[in-house]
Amino acid sequence: MVVYSFYIFDRHTECIYAKTWLPTSASSADTTTTGALTTTSAPRATSSDDAKLIFGTVFSLRNMVRKLGGDDDAFVSYRTAHYKLHFYETASSLRLVMLTDTATLSMRNVLHQIYINLWVEYVVKNPLSPVEHKGGAGVRNELFELALDQFIRSLM
Amino acid sequence: MAHLGPGKAASSKEQAGLRYPSNGKSIYHRPLNRTKTAELSQSSFAYLFSEMVSYAQRRVTGIQELEKRLNLQGHPIGLKLLDLLLTREPPRTQTRPLTIIALLHFIKINLWTHLFGRQADRLEKSSNPDTPDEYMIVDNEPVVNAYISVPREMSQLNCAAFVAGIIEGVCDGAMFPARVTAHTVGGKEEGEMWPGKTVFLVKFQPEVLEREALIGKG
Amino acid sequence: MTPPPAHCILNFNKTVFALIIINKAGGLIYNRTFHEGGLNKISTNDYLVLAGTFHGVHAITARLNPLSPSTTTSHRTSISSTATAPAGGAASAVGGGGGMLTRPEAPSGLEVLETENFRMQCFTTLTGVKFLLFADTTQTNVDLAMRRVYDLYTDYVMKNPFYQLEMPVRCDMFDRKLGSYIREINNR
Repeated sequence: MVVYSFYIFDRHTECIYAKTWLPTSASSADTTTTGALTTTSAPRATSSDDAKLIFGTVFSLRNMVRKLGGDDDAFVSYRTAHYKLHFYETASSLRLVMLTDTATLSMRNVLHQIYINLWVEYVVKNPLSPVEHKGGAGVRNELFELALDQFIRSLM
Repeated sequence: MAHLGPGKAASSKEQAGLRYPSNGKSIYHRPLNRTKTAELSQSSFAYLFSEMVSYAQRRVTGIQELEKRLNLQGHPIGLKLLDLLLTREPPRTQTRPLTIIALLHFIKINLWTHLFGRQADRLEKSSNPDTPDEYMIVDNEPVVNAYISVPREMSQLNCAAFVAGIIEGVCDGAMFPARVTAHTVGGKEEGEMWPGKTVFLVKFQPEVLEREALIGKG
Repeated sequence: MTPPPAHCILNFNKTVFALIIINKAGGLIYNRTFHEGGLNKISTNDYLVLAGTFHGVHAITARLNPLSPSTTTSHRTSISSTATAPAGGAASAVGGGGGMLTRPEAPSGLEVLETENFRMQCFTTLTGVKFLLFADTTQTNVDLAMRRVYDLYTDYVMKNPFYQLEMPVRCDMFDRKLGSYIREINNR
């Protein structure tokens, strides 16, 4: 299983966290790192555009699914020939999105765990973190980032 | 789906595209019986026929005119097929049919088998005493209509008018001048089973019946 | 032979709900529900909007591929790599990092969408027509069903002289054959 990237969108549809784990073979085009696996927590040139596109996509699909499947239905994932996108929405309209390779099974539980064990523990319970995470404020703290990176790497 | 003419049947033997054999021999040099059992893909025929119908549909004002055009496309094929099919008969039976019944049997069996790989489903004579000149050839599901859905506003149309034209060509060539039309009868009593059931109504000219009567007397 | 009731219930769950066909411009050309209650009933207008929305989303999902940078970046890097490459670096310019003459993989948009209540399979033909098949989440062999639906489309729609390309599909034969095929699956 390979995780390509992970995004968090707040209830104001803003991307408050983005992280990519791209193998060098694929990212060699725009980075010059030499490690086996490069983590670019600083966004790529196109990553903010990507985040916007991803949000637009999941938002449209979520609305489409609700229209067809009823209000209790929830959009879980979609797959193309090249990647798979997993979506999880919390009751507070926080949206977690993860892109993986196509062979990966449902990551709904993983996203749920990230929310419970990482987001709630290290961001919500952090007294220094603001209520609204404008521009990613309060999300990019050491504990959360480290734990997330470890958690994702343990999956791969 | 069988072959609709020597030309098309032969093309399945040839390589794709227009190619001329190096020995200068074209399909016209080939013995007529060689392609007797050759077959042709139903898909390629369906696409060709689809274009033929679209072509006939250009600048026509009504359904009757469209059927007339399809009929005209089939007519020369019928004329030529009569010759070809008779040539392929064993030498003793190589004469053209001389009575209406013999002609209709020739159409039901030989023509249908050559074109569609099976016989027509039924042969009937009109039970109406006012029209003794009318005969009916019944096909439960005409191959030419296999993929055709006629739009509701043209419900009178039956694209098997093309086959009717072929039948008309065979009748005319055998000196039994006739008018042949195709009618959809699916949707009536047996309609559920065969929604595309088609009746080819063969109406012979008066002189044909006159001659038939004279032969009968003799 | 009567199957046990438990078997019936199991069968009831494996159902194809609906089919939508979208033309290459994003217009809805066919829309049919096979099983009531599987999906919400929505108006024809909503279906038209849905077709257009999905068409757009599909194009975006093809661009979001995390493994290949967007076209603009790859263009930029190919220029820079030619500039920095030593003399005779034609191969590296063409193949990027790989140094091999490979054709880029065709972009692929959304193929399967999963939700809690249903699963949607999307098949795009080479000519850009999209077939969306909505089925129960437990429905197996949707690929096979999709293939068969496409077969029926090529036979009874494309070979019909009265069908105009890109226009709504109104072919009795297609309706009939599709109906009986899906009924066969749903009653299996």
